[in-house]
Amino acid sequence: MVEFAGYDMPVWYTGIMEEHLAVRNHAGIFDVSHMGRIAVKGSEAGRFTDALVPTRSSSQPIGKSFYTLLLNANGGIIDDLIIIKRAEDDYLFVVNAANRAKDADHMARLSAQYEVVLDDMTDRTTMIAIQGPEAFQALQGLTVQNLSEIKRYNHVMSKVGASMATITRTGYTGEDGFEIILYDSGIENNSIALSVWNELANRAKPCGLGSRDSLRVEAGLPLYGSDIDDTTNPIEADLAWVVSKEKTGYVGSDAIAGHLGTQPQKLRRGIILEDKIPRHGFNVSNEVGEKIGQVTSGTFSPILKKGIALAYVNAPYAQVGQAVRIVIRDAPVAGKIVKPPFYDEKAYGLKRTATAPAPATP
Amino acid sequence: MSDQYRVPDDLVYTREHEWAKTLEGVERIGITDYAAKTLNDVVYVSLPSIGQHLEQLASFGTVESIKAVSELYSPLSGIVSKVNTELGNHPELVNKSPYEEGWIIEIKPSKIEEERKKLLDSKQYREFLSSLGK
Repeated sequence: MVEFAGYDMPVWYTGIMEEHLAVRNHAGIFDVSHMGRIAVKGSEAGRFTDALVPTRSSSQPIGKSFYTLLLNANGGIIDDLIIIKRAEDDYLFVVNAANRAKDADHMARLSAQYEVVLDDMTDRTTMIAIQGPEAFQALQGLTVQNLSEIKRYNHVMSKVGASMATITRTGYTGEDGFEIILYDSGIENNSIALSVWNELANRAKPCGLGSRDSLRVEAGLPLYGSDIDDTTNPIEADLAWVVSKEKTGYVGSDAIAGHLGTQPQKLRRGIILEDKIPRHGFNVSNEVGEKIGQVTSGTFSPILKKGIALAYVNAPYAQVGQAVRIVIRDAPVAGKIVKPPFYDEKAYGLKRTATAPAPATP
Repeated sequence: MSDQYRVPDDLVYTREHEWAKTLEGVERIGITDYAAKTLNDVVYVSLPSIGQHLEQLASFGTVESIKAVSELYSPLSGIVSKVNTELGNHPELVNKSPYEEGWIIEIKPSKIEEERKKLLDSKQYREFLSSLGK
């Protein structure tokens, strides 16, 4: 067990490799209750969220779950998050555990000007991610909701086990799957959540923080604090797709307009190495040994059986296929720039063409 | 708690969780069952070259899991006479068999008599694991 943002969490249950492969090939479950869940409610909830994020928010249909960012006035990233639009006057923010207090402060400061209330639901709810090509089958037995009716980045309110729940088709592994928020069971009364977890554990492999990290790196997904922070902007972080080009008037919008109008100096990219394992903080160099970037996340890819990295590289070196080196213990190791995900998308991940067995109807 | 890890009696140990075993004229070196289990799935072992001189308790390479990098410290000074090349394709041998097939290097020791005093026998290493709460 390790301490993570104030929670005791397992790095693995049976082994990182085993858990990683279970998610890619079958299904795994993650207790993600540590993630912050802050509801924004009130007649001006839509307008308020529009002022907070660079993505269209109030014009999204009810039932949408979308990935977006909280930005500071310089266009730096305060946090990355999922917003679950539960009603026109009710948006649920799912934020990083380590940023929960910072996000709540940022939101509270702006909320004074709007008819909204903020409700931090983290401690009285439970959140579990069910991920992998067989996530459907694992979760379907616990709910009357026909899961095949929920499209990617959408959610429904239904019952899971004995609890009312939001079931959202999202995740942090690159695989298809669901995240469920159980409303009737939290830290104080965890018995319903435990029974849901135990039921799921009969159908899918419990996974710890270790495989959660190796899976998200393999999928190319950024981790706040490692790959993005208050000083990185969405364009250099390869998250420009989150920014609505037409939108103005949100915190950071002027700075973002400036960033969009200029070439970024550096860009977040993937690097595959021919040998060894890159780690956070290692330097990226060109073929004559000049420093051209830095690794922000590095791991061994259980699918590729190679070292992989997420790194910021100077713009001239950011082309896919560009040969680069990562310096490991003073020795440069050859690699090349790729656009993640690192795995073959025909064989792995949510776009895989090898179809999983049809989900059982409830 | 220390009962869950294998600590063979015929080896000597470091506090950094390496072991050394006396063979004919050479010392075979690896990491302990405790180290292998704590690292979890070993996916890469960086090995020294044959002929390289190692100092006692100085780093001679790394053993890496998906998540972590751990330094390897030589229990004894000496010259590397053999490396376990099997680990290149099968680093998992370190987990499966830390004291047998998962050995890492062999060295010709240069100061074994005086240096042995700085190492732990199996009883002392077991006590050391217990003192770590393991």
